[in-house]
Amino acid sequence: MSGYIFTGKDVPRDTEVGADVCIVGSGAGGAVLAEQLVSRGLRVVVLEEGGYHTRGEFNMREDWAYPALYQEMANRSTDDQSVLMLQGRSVGGGTTVNWCTSFRTPKPVLERWAQDFGVEGLSEAALSPHFDAIEERLHIKEWPLEAMNRNNRVLWDGCGKLGFGRGLVRRNVNNCADLGKCGLGCPIDAKQSMAVTLIPDAVERGLNVYANASVRRILVDGRKVRGVEAAILDATRDVPTGATLTVRAKAVAVCGGAINSPALLLRSGLTGQGNVGQRLFLHPVAIMAAHLEEPVEAWSGAPQSAYSRHFIDRGPERMGYFLEAAPLYPMLAATVLPGFGAAHQTTMEKLPHTQVCIGLAVDGFLPGDVGGTVRLANPKERRVHIDYPLRPWLWEALRDASEKMARIQFAGGASEVLSLHATPVRLRPKDDVERLLRAAPWEAGRVRVATAHQMGGCCMGRDPKTSVVDSSLRYHGLDNLFVVDGSVLPTSLGVNPQETIFGIARLRSAAVAASVA
Amino acid sequence: MVSDAPRSPSRRSLLKRGLFGGALLVVGGTGFLALRGGRRASLPFDGLHVFSEEEYAVLEALAPRLVGNRPGWPSVQQVGVAQAVDRIVERTEPSVQAELKQLLGLFDNALAGFLFGGRTVPFTALDAAAQDRVLEDWRDSRLAIRRTGYNALRTLVLAGYYQSPLTWGPLGYPGPESSFYQPGAKAWTGGPMPRPDGNGVFHPVARP
Repeated sequence: MSGYIFTGKDVPRDTEVGADVCIVGSGAGGAVLAEQLVSRGLRVVVLEEGGYHTRGEFNMREDWAYPALYQEMANRSTDDQSVLMLQGRSVGGGTTVNWCTSFRTPKPVLERWAQDFGVEGLSEAALSPHFDAIEERLHIKEWPLEAMNRNNRVLWDGCGKLGFGRGLVRRNVNNCADLGKCGLGCPIDAKQSMAVTLIPDAVERGLNVYANASVRRILVDGRKVRGVEAAILDATRDVPTGATLTVRAKAVAVCGGAINSPALLLRSGLTGQGNVGQRLFLHPVAIMAAHLEEPVEAWSGAPQSAYSRHFIDRGPERMGYFLEAAPLYPMLAATVLPGFGAAHQTTMEKLPHTQVCIGLAVDGFLPGDVGGTVRLANPKERRVHIDYPLRPWLWEALRDASEKMARIQFAGGASEVLSLHATPVRLRPKDDVERLLRAAPWEAGRVRVATAHQMGGCCMGRDPKTSVVDSSLRYHGLDNLFVVDGSVLPTSLGVNPQETIFGIARLRSAAVAASVA
Repeated sequence: MVSDAPRSPSRRSLLKRGLFGGALLVVGGTGFLALRGGRRASLPFDGLHVFSEEEYAVLEALAPRLVGNRPGWPSVQQVGVAQAVDRIVERTEPSVQAELKQLLGLFDNALAGFLFGGRTVPFTALDAAAQDRVLEDWRDSRLAIRRTGYNALRTLVLAGYYQSPLTWGPLGYPGPESSFYQPGAKAWTGGPMPRPDGNGVFHPVARP
C-alpha cells in the first residue's frame, strides 16, 4: 500500500495522524531512517519544513532555487554575519542541493569519537555494510578524470605539480549530463538525492511525507515523547496558514540537521543538561579566487571532482584542512567575491575566467575547540541564533590553506589570485604569497568565511553531562526520542558529511525500530 | 573620516553592545541631526512591502555605489535592485526585517554618521565619492558591528542585482541549458500514481 507525499495545500485544517515513528526532517538522516523503518514494516510519517520540489521546477536559476531550496534563502549566517551558511531546506534536505561529493567517514575520526566521547559500535567494520548498500543504491562512483571540468582541473594539476596528495571525488549520480547546476536542483534527476531515491522507495512501501510542515514542539510526557506538533506553511508564501498537524507516535526521530535539530529540542524544553546547541562545527571555509587566461566556466561540469587531503594532519597543535573546488553562479559569485562598486564589477566581469578553490578547516579536534552554539533568543519565533567564534587556531588554518591554495592555483595556470578579504589581497605568480597573506587582516567581518557542512549541536556520547544522545542516538533520559542527522557528530569529519550521515542513520535505524517493538 | 570617531570608552562600549540592540536606537533616536532628512526616492508602482520610503531611499542610494555602473551593464534602476531587496527581505523573519530597517535608518542617520565619522549630512544627500568613503568607513571599521552592517547591506544589494538575468550577458554567463529542463514535469506524489522513470533513473535526451 503506497503512502503519499503531501504538501501544505493538502492540510487545510487542523489534522491529527498516528504513526509508529514520526521523523522530523527529510534530509540525509531522516530519509535513510524512514526507508529503513518502513522496510521493517513500521508505520512512519516524515514531516519536512521545506517544500516538495521536483525536476519540473528545477530551472537551474539562482533566483528561484535559493528561496525554494535553502535555509533562509541561502542567506543563513552566524549572527555577526562572519560565516555564511549554505544549508538545504526542502524534501531531500541538503541532498537536493549539495554538490554530490561522497566520502566514507575517515577511520581516525571514528576512533576519536570512541576514545574521547565513549561512542560505542560506530566502527569502520560496523558501518561498512551500510556504506556498501548506500553506495550501490545511490550509484556512488568515482568521477572519471577525463570528465573533470576546468575548475577542478586547476586544483588537480596544481596539487600534482607541487607534490600534494590528491584524489578523485566519488559522486552519487546516475546518467549525469554534466550540467554543473547541482546546487540549484538537478533537472534530470541524475543526482541521486533522497528526494528521488530513498524517499520514493519508502513512499512506495507506505511512508507518508508532509512537506511544508514546520514542527514547533515535541510533545514530552515524563520519560516519554508522545509525538510532535507542526504548523502548516503555505506552500508558495512559506508562512503559517494557521492549520496545525499533530502526529501521535510511539517514537520520534529529530532529523532537522545541525542548526534546526538543536533549535527544535530547545523549543521543546529539552536542553540536554546544557549540551543542546553546543559543539556546533562547520568546516569553516576559506576561499581563493583565481583568474586564468583561458575560460574556466566554473558553473559547468561536476562541481567537485578533485580534492586534496594532504593537509588534514598538521600535527597536534594545528588545525588540519582539506581542499576542494567550488562552482560559481552569478549570485553566489557576486555575494562571495570581495569589494564593491567598480572594483567588484571588474572582478565579476572575469567570471568566465574565474576559478575557485576552497579550504575547509577540520574543527572540533584541537583541545579546547568547542566550536559554536545554536540558541533561541525568543522561543516563539522561528529565528535561530548562531554563534561561531573564529578562534586563533582557525585563522591560522584558514590563512595557511589560503597560501597553499594560491600556490596550487598558480601551479595550475592562474595569472592572478585574490583572497576574499573585504579589500582583497591580490597575488601574482612571483609574489611572496606567504608574506602578503600574513600581512592581511584575519578577523571576523574582514574576510569572507563560509560553510556548507553543518555538524554537531546534539553531540553523541556516553556521558549525559557532556553529550545529548547516546551511541544508539537516543536522547539521554528519554525512552523514545532519537536524533538522527549530522547534529549528533561529536566533531567535524574532514570530509563532506552526507555519506557519514547516511551510514550512521542506516546503522542506527535498528535502535529506533527496537524502541517501538 | 577613516577613524571611528567615538574614542571615549563609555561611548564605544555603548556602541559595541550590539548593532541591532537598543544602544543604537539611542544613537539613532532624537535630536536635530537624527531628524535631518535625506533624499527621497521614487517608489515602485506596486508599493513597498517592508521598507518605509526613507529606508527605500537609502537602498536606492546604496545600490549604484555597491553594484557599480560600468557601461554596457544594466543599471540598478533597470534591474530594480531596491525593489528586489524589499521583496527578498519580505520573506525573512519579522525580527530580521526590523533589524534591517534599523540598519538602513542608521546608515542614513546624520547623528550616527557624526558619532561614527564626524559627518553631519545624511548618506542619501552625499555625492558619490563621499558615499563611497562612508561605505569604506563601515567596511574597514574597528567596530565589528559596523563591518557586520556593511556585509549585510552589501550581500543584500548584490543579491538583488545579480538575481536578474539581465546581468548574464555582461557577465558572459550563458544561463542554464534549457534543453534539459522540462517545466511543469509532474511531481510524483505516491498514492495511486505510478512512479515514473524520472525518479532516480530519468534518462536525459542525450549527453551534450
